[in-house]
Amino acid sequence: MTRAISTIRQEGFTLIELLVALGIFLVITGAAFTLLGSSQQHYQVETQVLSSFQEARLGMDQIVRDVNDAGYPPPSFAGTDPTLFASTPFAWSPGYLTNSSCNIVASSGKPVCTTPGNFDLIIETNPNPQDPACALTPCPVQWIRYQLQVPPQVQVPTLMRGMVPKTPGPGDPDAATTAASVLVPFVQNVVNSPAQPIFSYTCDTTSAPQSPPLPCPNAAAADNSPANIRDVIVNLIVAAPLPDPKTGQPRLVQLTGRGRRINPSQ
Amino acid sequence: MSAGRSMRKRRKENGIALLISIFVLLLISVVAIALVVSSGTETAIAGNYRSATGVYYAALSGLEEARGRLLSKNPNSFLKTAPANFLPPPGTRWDIGYVRYVLNPGPADLADTRTTYPDVEYDNEFGPGKLGAANVVTTPSVWNVAPLNALPVPGPLYKWVRINAVSEVSLQRQVAPFDGHTPDPAKPIYYDGIRLTIDPTGAQEVLEITSLAVLPNGSQNSSQKLVQYLVAPVPITLPPFQAALTLSGSQNGTDPFFQAPTTNAVYAVKGDGDQDCNGNPLPSKVAVGLYGPYQGVGNLNNALNAIKGGIPSFPPPSTAAKSNYTGQGAWPDVEQLTAPFQTPSQLDSFVQTIVQNADVILPSGSTGSALTPLGMSPTNPLTVVVNGNLDISNWSSDGYGLLLVTGTFTYDPDTNWYGIVLVIGQGVVNNSQNGQNKQINGAMFVAKTRDASGNLLPDLGGASVSFLPAMQGNGMRYNSCWIQKAQPTSSYQILSFHEISQ
Repeated sequence: MTRAISTIRQEGFTLIELLVALGIFLVITGAAFTLLGSSQQHYQVETQVLSSFQEARLGMDQIVRDVNDAGYPPPSFAGTDPTLFASTPFAWSPGYLTNSSCNIVASSGKPVCTTPGNFDLIIETNPNPQDPACALTPCPVQWIRYQLQVPPQVQVPTLMRGMVPKTPGPGDPDAATTAASVLVPFVQNVVNSPAQPIFSYTCDTTSAPQSPPLPCPNAAAADNSPANIRDVIVNLIVAAPLPDPKTGQPRLVQLTGRGRRINPSQ
Repeated sequence: MSAGRSMRKRRKENGIALLISIFVLLLISVVAIALVVSSGTETAIAGNYRSATGVYYAALSGLEEARGRLLSKNPNSFLKTAPANFLPPPGTRWDIGYVRYVLNPGPADLADTRTTYPDVEYDNEFGPGKLGAANVVTTPSVWNVAPLNALPVPGPLYKWVRINAVSEVSLQRQVAPFDGHTPDPAKPIYYDGIRLTIDPTGAQEVLEITSLAVLPNGSQNSSQKLVQYLVAPVPITLPPFQAALTLSGSQNGTDPFFQAPTTNAVYAVKGDGDQDCNGNPLPSKVAVGLYGPYQGVGNLNNALNAIKGGIPSFPPPSTAAKSNYTGQGAWPDVEQLTAPFQTPSQLDSFVQTIVQNADVILPSGSTGSALTPLGMSPTNPLTVVVNGNLDISNWSSDGYGLLLVTGTFTYDPDTNWYGIVLVIGQGVVNNSQNGQNKQINGAMFVAKTRDASGNLLPDLGGASVSFLPAMQGNGMRYNSCWIQKAQPTSSYQILSFHEISQ
């Protein structure tokens, strides 16, 4: 009995035991916190990747929808007011005002388009003819421009979007959409390199309308013009604001979509 | 005792181990949940985009089904598969207020998909309450009838497609002519090949096709889409019909030959008495037209007189029979047409286009018995091509539509033909049976473009229409209504497309 009681009293940790226990505890909690820290960092990066992904998806959805609707209403709806129909699904520059076409890909004869281009596109359409917010009924046709802008114009490479009503009389879509505060940031951190165009095009061939459209660079010079654009293939590469914590490399999201112009162009 | 001590010790240490394990478990759970949440969001973003794209193409497939089935030569044409009153009778227009639906219920839907997915867009366009007052007929989609309904895979997920005519009021815009006219909500819009117009002359009626598609996760906005086409039929370019009977011939080729039945006092070719499908009188056309270029007046008159020479003086010496050839000029009305003349190769390209869009192609040597099973009727005019000779002797049914014969056409007035008869190629029409007193209502165009070996001629040859002296029949009557009804359509052209914001 006596021995048992004294044993109970002596129960407790020796210094060694305590230090060992503390050491083990520190190692385990240290590891756990390191894990927590790195996973938090990962979580933060993943969240940012996700929001970039989300932003890019929304952007892609809008671009594809605009391209699908390009050229509505077509010239056969021609009325007395030129702002109520789209003269062409895709506006171009230079030469829009004089109705002289340009070539999407450099070839002899015509000048090369500055828009539509690899990073620039102006869609002429009426996105919502029945919009009750419109003072006029139906709403006028809009020029919707997508353009990639890079520093120092903007802080980070950004795909801009802008929409202005088609101007009656001599109105140039290029000038109208580059006016101050028309283009607003749409998708940020778009990191397509010059070799990775955001917009690439297929062109209808006038010689054989029944054959599928060709990629515009492969089309004949006569067909390689904005009026012949059939598909717009959109390739968005978006970087998350923070790099990967382990490798230090930027986290990229690449999305590809395709819009097809259905409205007739003439 | 020693066992008791170690037991107590273990019990205390157990407590710490439990705490540490719970703590570590908590950390791992937090990390795991974060990962699950983030990958879940990623899947949802990708899924939303996919369903938005999917539903867009589902809606487009509805538009395309309706556009395809409007064509009479489509095997699933509304003409063959829908209720008889689905399409307006041939040659008549779609009135405003004729609303037609193609319903495509999925396995879990009600048979009438408009109950679950009501069409509110119609009233948006035409005005409140207009759909309720409309003349509505429905038909199932091809995916809901045999054989496609037996497929183990579901069809496209569109719910309904609406087809209707449009007016300036529903389109909310003025169309040609821009004369300040007041938009009439009851006047349909037409397409004249260049622009929309309310003038039906030489234009085709514009139809609106609207399709609604909803994906199964229908609670989200992105998975419901309403898209709309405006379409108009593309008529096949045909040679001009300026006369009840047109015969080819040219100065550089040969003159035409015409011989009417010499003992039939009622045989007549009439360019007058023309009317449209509503019975309204139209200006007179030429009775017998000469189609082809002639340089000298003398040569032209020789050719015209040769045709007139084929019109008998019956009973001799009366000229009464000649007065059966009435039209825009004095009888017998035989004139050179004012049409821009086509070369044999251009006429041949008309032929090729018609062949490509024919409902039926028959081999050379076909007889009337090959025409009987086609089921031609006033509401089902067909485009029938015979690659060579056709002999309709003793065929006593009636024909409706466009008949193209590239060889010799052996006619028999045992039959009425309502529509267009083209004999382009050898350009020979004759008869072997004298038949009854029936007639051709519409127009007949005979042109020689090929020689006996089938080679294209450099210049238009002389058509030959030669009937036996005792052939019966009332002859030919120009009829714009039947010409219009027989006009084949190559496709329905898309005039515009847009997505309606939901």
